[in-house]
Amino acid sequence: MKVLIIEDEKALAESILAYLHSEHYTCEMAPDFSTAMEKISCYDYACIILDITLPGGSGLDLLRELKANHKAEGVLIISARNSLDEKILGLKSGADDYLTKPFHLSELAARVSAIIRRKSFEGKNSLRFDELELDLLEKTVRVDKRMLDLTRKEYDLLLYFISNKNKVISKGAIAEHLWGDNMDMADNYDFIYTHIKNLRKKLLQAGAQDYIKSVYGMGYKFSDRP
Amino acid sequence: MKLFTRYFRINLLATLLIFLLASIAFYFLLWWVMIRQVDEDLKIEQREIETYVGKYQRPPEPITVKDQRISYETTDLREQMHHFNTVRSPDKQERADFRQISFTLPVGNQWLLFKVSKSLEGTQDMNRSIILISGLTVILILIVSLLINRWLLRRLWQPFYTTLAGIKKFRLGEKKIPAFEQSPIDEFNLLNSTLDQFIQAAEKEYTLLKEFTENASHELQTPLAIVRSKLDTLIQDEQLSEAQSNAAQTAYEAIRKMARLNQSLLLLSKIENRQFSETHSFDFKKFVEEKMPAWQELWQGRNLRVTRLLEPAHIEMNTHLADILLNNLFSNATRHSPEGGSIHLQLKDHQFVISNTASGGSLDPGKLFKRFSKGGQSTDQHGLGLSIVQQIVEVSGKRISYHFDKGQHIFTLHF
Repeated sequence: MKVLIIEDEKALAESILAYLHSEHYTCEMAPDFSTAMEKISCYDYACIILDITLPGGSGLDLLRELKANHKAEGVLIISARNSLDEKILGLKSGADDYLTKPFHLSELAARVSAIIRRKSFEGKNSLRFDELELDLLEKTVRVDKRMLDLTRKEYDLLLYFISNKNKVISKGAIAEHLWGDNMDMADNYDFIYTHIKNLRKKLLQAGAQDYIKSVYGMGYKFSDRP
Repeated sequence: MKLFTRYFRINLLATLLIFLLASIAFYFLLWWVMIRQVDEDLKIEQREIETYVGKYQRPPEPITVKDQRISYETTDLREQMHHFNTVRSPDKQERADFRQISFTLPVGNQWLLFKVSKSLEGTQDMNRSIILISGLTVILILIVSLLINRWLLRRLWQPFYTTLAGIKKFRLGEKKIPAFEQSPIDEFNLLNSTLDQFIQAAEKEYTLLKEFTENASHELQTPLAIVRSKLDTLIQDEQLSEAQSNAAQTAYEAIRKMARLNQSLLLLSKIENRQFSETHSFDFKKFVEEKMPAWQELWQGRNLRVTRLLEPAHIEMNTHLADILLNNLFSNATRHSPEGGSIHLQLKDHQFVISNTASGGSLDPGKLFKRFSKGGQSTDQHGLGLSIVQQIVEVSGKRISYHFDKGQHIFTLHF
């Protein structure tokens, strides 16, 4: 699956590329408006990561161009501006999601995969990971046909892990994903620990593998590799 | 004291004093002139008597008319003399004073002392009338001039009050520069143009400062994003040692704090720039109740007992700001309660009260809402939470107060 990263900040674009690349995405970069315009008119992408402020033009114009050409790409806006108005404007112009800088790459990956899932599996709303099967509409999880009784947060956590499989996710990223950044409680890592402990217990009880691994107390990794 | 009042007081005092002195002088002058007139008449009487005596060598028959009496008697004086004086009425019946001329005259071989007196009743009446009329005139003039001055001054000062009202409504940062009216008076025009320049300059400076804060915050987001993304990439390395992981963890924490601080500063400047001006009226009770479940987990985790007593109430404000406001108040109460403490929410009579068990004593209400003032010993917060609360309350036209009672921090939102 091809992902286009339209971001003028080279260091950031490279990080995104490196992170997504190992998620089995093929990534391309466009550091300015004209390159981006060229790429979107020549190729089709599964998802476009779009920065609003670009040298040579506004990302919103690119977005309008895409919509005018009835391109099916999912678009995720990444912007330094986090006002509600700009979010609404971006989403109204046809973006699928809006992420404010500074973000965690794991959050970005989760959003990208959600967009791609929505765009490319129309009608099919389930996600498989080995013996785990997630129903994205019902928000339920089965292990070999056995329904798991997960809380809303545990389900969110599992989906977040699967979207970032084989990656180390920092505790801060998990906290921000579960609680949003409005609550200012993201430093309360005890809660994350509780949720992860419960999720892991439930998965093991249902006969799933032990996917969740702690990494030096710094974060967690969801992996089926030993 | 108003300028009017002060002016009138001085003016009135001076005018009254002048009029009083003038009236007194006028009264005496008038009296003096009239007495002279009466004296002239009496002298004519004297000359008539002298002529009569010269012709007939006997005094004339004393005729008494209503306002004039003539009498004579023998005297020991042997020389001619005359003098005037004012006497009380000789026959006690009339109350008026008399002006009397006494003069001596040789009649035959004896000297007679004549006394001719004229009633002053008419003169006194006239004098009284004149004083009365002039007094009334003075009072009338004073009243009329008072009214005219009052009206005139008010009219003349009108542009001043208009300007004053304009400045009163002006708030720096609201971007509503008062429009001053043109006035026919140069001084007021000068005042208005000076004020206008002053306000424009202040507004410009303020906007620049705000823009600077906002731009600086925005510009910081991208480097922060880069650092965070590099850390995210770094921790994927399986060769990472525990010490390196710990270093990365510390860097994460610092970045998180910085991102939050930056976000709060940005939010503050946005609130100050009135970017959340759209308001709605909504059910505040429902709003609070919907907010609570998200916090339940945190409260349970810290063993906080949360009680509530909410009555239906409507509030008019921006919903996004209301959301941030509640979040910050909840966060504040949650953070500053000791483990196992309690939080109480009360909504009643346009007051929302949130109180929590204090771990220490009273906070300093003067410093509480200031930026970067940290209540507790925790270095984890940036001290902007309550200033954001204060700022939101201010732009929404509400009021928040703090007090400490029986080991409880109590914040009251008045709306």
